[in-house]
Amino acid sequence: MIGKRRETIGNTLMLLPLILLFIAFFIYPLLYVIYTSLFEWNGFTRPDFVGIGNYGNLFRNVVFQTSARNNVVWVFSLGFLQVGLAALAAFILARKPKGWRFLRTVYFLPRVISAVAIALLWQTIYNAEYGALNAILSRIAGYPIRHNWLGSYGTALPAIVVQQVFYIGYFMIIVFASTTTIPRSYYEAAEMDGATTFQQERYITLPMARNTLVTSMTLAMAYGMRHFEPTFLMTGGGPGHSTSVLGLMMYKRIAQTKLGDAAAIGTLLVAIGFTLIMTIRRLLRGETYER
Amino acid sequence: MNDRLSLGSRGMRRSAVGAAAGLIAKWAYLLFLLGFALIPLLWLLVTSLKTQGEFLTYPLSLPETPRFSNYVTAFQMARLHVLLINSIITASFATVLNLSVTAAAAFVLTRQRVRWAPAVNGVILLGVLIPIISFMVPYLSLVRAIKLYNTRAALILVYAAINLPISYFIVSTFMREIPRSLEEAAVIEGASSFQRLVRVILPLSTAGLLTAGTLCFIYAWNEFAYALLLTSSSAVRTVQLGISFFNTQFRSDYPAMFAAIAVAMVPTVTAYVMLHDRIIGGLTAGAIKG
Repeated sequence: MIGKRRETIGNTLMLLPLILLFIAFFIYPLLYVIYTSLFEWNGFTRPDFVGIGNYGNLFRNVVFQTSARNNVVWVFSLGFLQVGLAALAAFILARKPKGWRFLRTVYFLPRVISAVAIALLWQTIYNAEYGALNAILSRIAGYPIRHNWLGSYGTALPAIVVQQVFYIGYFMIIVFASTTTIPRSYYEAAEMDGATTFQQERYITLPMARNTLVTSMTLAMAYGMRHFEPTFLMTGGGPGHSTSVLGLMMYKRIAQTKLGDAAAIGTLLVAIGFTLIMTIRRLLRGETYER
Repeated sequence: MNDRLSLGSRGMRRSAVGAAAGLIAKWAYLLFLLGFALIPLLWLLVTSLKTQGEFLTYPLSLPETPRFSNYVTAFQMARLHVLLINSIITASFATVLNLSVTAAAAFVLTRQRVRWAPAVNGVILLGVLIPIISFMVPYLSLVRAIKLYNTRAALILVYAAINLPISYFIVSTFMREIPRSLEEAAVIEGASSFQRLVRVILPLSTAGLLTAGTLCFIYAWNEFAYALLLTSSSAVRTVQLGISFFNTQFRSDYPAMFAAIAVAMVPTVTAYVMLHDRIIGGLTAGAIKG
């Protein structure tokens, strides 16, 4: 009896740190960010209750509109372009061409390098006067090209998007892993029936990997919503506010000590992120090809 | 050979041409992606060995003689050693804290009879879905309230906490697989649950702990947003935050800036080279199962 009680106390003590940390850094912040979004607050003096006023002001704000529009660009670029490019690479690598292990490892490499390092590197590549991109283009064109990729309205957003979209490692690995669960016999049977490689990919791999593709798209879209570091580091949202995203606007509002506004943006990010994931999960339910 | 080709059906010839085109397209794509991932990084390393003059006039060329002194300059100008020590302290303590908390809780929730274990499990795993960036305001207020603003302790706590769901996922998956029989001998000897965790379960979960720990360390080493938000003085600054200021600081010396970036990449790239399968498996496990 005493042993049983000692066991219960021991269990509770071992579980407690995780519960406390989880409440402090996940549950409490979730409630806190929603609550704070209803106040006008500079972080020091007494907060003023404004109801949903912060949201109203945000929706009318031009920077907010631009940022939200850019988030949509990110959601679609990552969700469709990046996942599409990643899936293409995964399908090719799944057939184990020469050097596939090496390629898989290198494709993933940028993922373990910090956003800061990647951003500073690409900022220099895109630099107008001594950037590698202009140097290469100048050599091809035969005359000097001095385009300011990150400083011009037309090219700043596409430049960051392109840089991010081709780092396919993460989703390539996820899709690749799902293709390894497809039985070899399916392909052998198709081969005997005279199906071309393309037909095999189209009618076997694609439907079999469908769930994983949708999961990847959902994840990528969620990343598109919370996009922050690359843009913050490469353009700071400029030129003007043309490359701003919601995460960046939130950070700037905190820097201006407008914590209520920032919390409202934070709340929107959580809400939209959750809705995105849940909607797509619901759409998927009952349509399983895998396992 | 030629004759046979011309005698063969048109379809055959077309499919041979198609196959060749497909092969070329396939390799062009694979090599493009390889170049995209690798060439910028090689350019970074090459540039870190050039003089500023060489870099400005010929951004694409190799250095006349490699100048390793850029690395010395980077340490002197940016006080890189201070930044590195801060990052090592922050990332190491965050990893240790994260693993201790996760291992203890995962043990209780997967191997002890706890009635509400499934509920706790589910809630923790939901944490993976939360965009952590949206907690900037709460984390800032929390850290100020517990008087940890502008300390390494704040970053240690935040990084350890942010990684709880993913670490918990990895470690609990491992612990669930350990056969009951291995623990029973210790139970008969009258070992307490804590003793069983330390003597039996932890040694058998080393692989899971190593994966979760590596991921937590890489995350903490690379993290930028919260380092920016929660610290303000150069004394506690991490290396990522430090190099993010180089752009303005190093205008006159790009090669030295690249040298500093290269140094800051060493720990995570080394870990990746040694443990890539483990890291890839851990980072993608959540997405595949979830």
